[in-house]
Amino acid sequence: MLLDLSEEHKEHLAFLPRVDGAVVAEFGRIAVESLRRGSNPKIYDGAARKLNVSSDTVQHGVEGLTYLLTESSKLMISELDFQDSVFVLGFSEELNKLLLQLYLDNRKEIRTILNELAPDLPTYHSLEWRLDVQLASRSLRQQIKPAVTFKLHLNHNGDHSTKVLQTDPATLLHLVQQLEQALEEMKTNHCRRVVRNIK
Amino acid sequence: MELSESVQRGFQTLADPGSFDSNAFALLLRAAFQSLLDAQADEAVLDHPDLKHIDPVVLKYCHAAAATYILEAGKHRADKSTLSTFLEDCKFDRERIELFCTEYQNNKNSLESLLESIGRSLPHITDVSWRLEYQIKTNQLHKMYRPAYLVTLNVENTDSQSYPEISFSCNMEQLQDLVGKLKDASKSLERATQL
Repeated sequence: MLLDLSEEHKEHLAFLPRVDGAVVAEFGRIAVESLRRGSNPKIYDGAARKLNVSSDTVQHGVEGLTYLLTESSKLMISELDFQDSVFVLGFSEELNKLLLQLYLDNRKEIRTILNELAPDLPTYHSLEWRLDVQLASRSLRQQIKPAVTFKLHLNHNGDHSTKVLQTDPATLLHLVQQLEQALEEMKTNHCRRVVRNIK
Repeated sequence: MELSESVQRGFQTLADPGSFDSNAFALLLRAAFQSLLDAQADEAVLDHPDLKHIDPVVLKYCHAAAATYILEAGKHRADKSTLSTFLEDCKFDRERIELFCTEYQNNKNSLESLLESIGRSLPHITDVSWRLEYQIKTNQLHKMYRPAYLVTLNVENTDSQSYPEISFSCNMEQLQDLVGKLKDASKSLERATQL
């Protein structure tokens, strides 16, 4: 699958052959940083002054590179497809190789970042548990009522939340049984076939 | 067990055959247990033809006294000798003591269940549902190809009668971690009960 680059995009990327390899590599680093932490205009100003071009040109160059890397990572295109897509830009052999390297080096991390953008439910982080026995309450004395208390840690969009819950021994066994069945499902022929065939 | 004066006076009245004949006593006793334990019971529990001849104020007073005592006895897990001692102090005759103790014994389990269920506790997990999915793509990320689980815990809040759900997603490792920890808790529970 080839990337479809718009005219505007190609224009922005046209800045890259005008600087040397080290600068392109630096832009690559800035691009991934901006994905992780957001863009910082001051960086563009500094670079613009050093390269003797306008701040906008630098910004477009970096943004163009960012988009190139994220689209490629999102679609998980093969090395060959990446090379062919970049070929239309008419860059030097050396620059093409550099761009490919940037793609391959950063692909995994970019995909991790993109993954966090998906609509999401809280995800499991960890579970703490404690055994309790209730001995008495205001309404009934001399009890022996076992219970398990949990602290469920969840993550949602970077926020950590905890829920304190309780259950009785019978339900605990039921929970274990049900969730073990859930784990077993992945090992069934049906699931194995799906995993093998949908690629 | 600390009992108020009004409870004691109520029982003294119940002991008196002049105020409550044997039949009326038995009916009132049954009505007291019914009001406490029968979810459908209402004020009509005292509307029995054999109780009509008794002053309604006296009837309600004694009914309340009996219900209060029954709850206190249940709360403290009173045994037959405790009950008998109290009833003797209220001048109950042998026959009425026996009747009270028998009725109490018959209703003891329901009474204790009822008392046990009253009270605040943490949200209680009652059930779990799960869903296994195979993630293919999102609009931000294509070619994902990985399994994911969605787990929902059904939870009951004893005081607010609400049933919130807690849902979360997890991958295979995380679910294995969760199941592992639940099994640890379960084994620990087993060991504790064998001590």
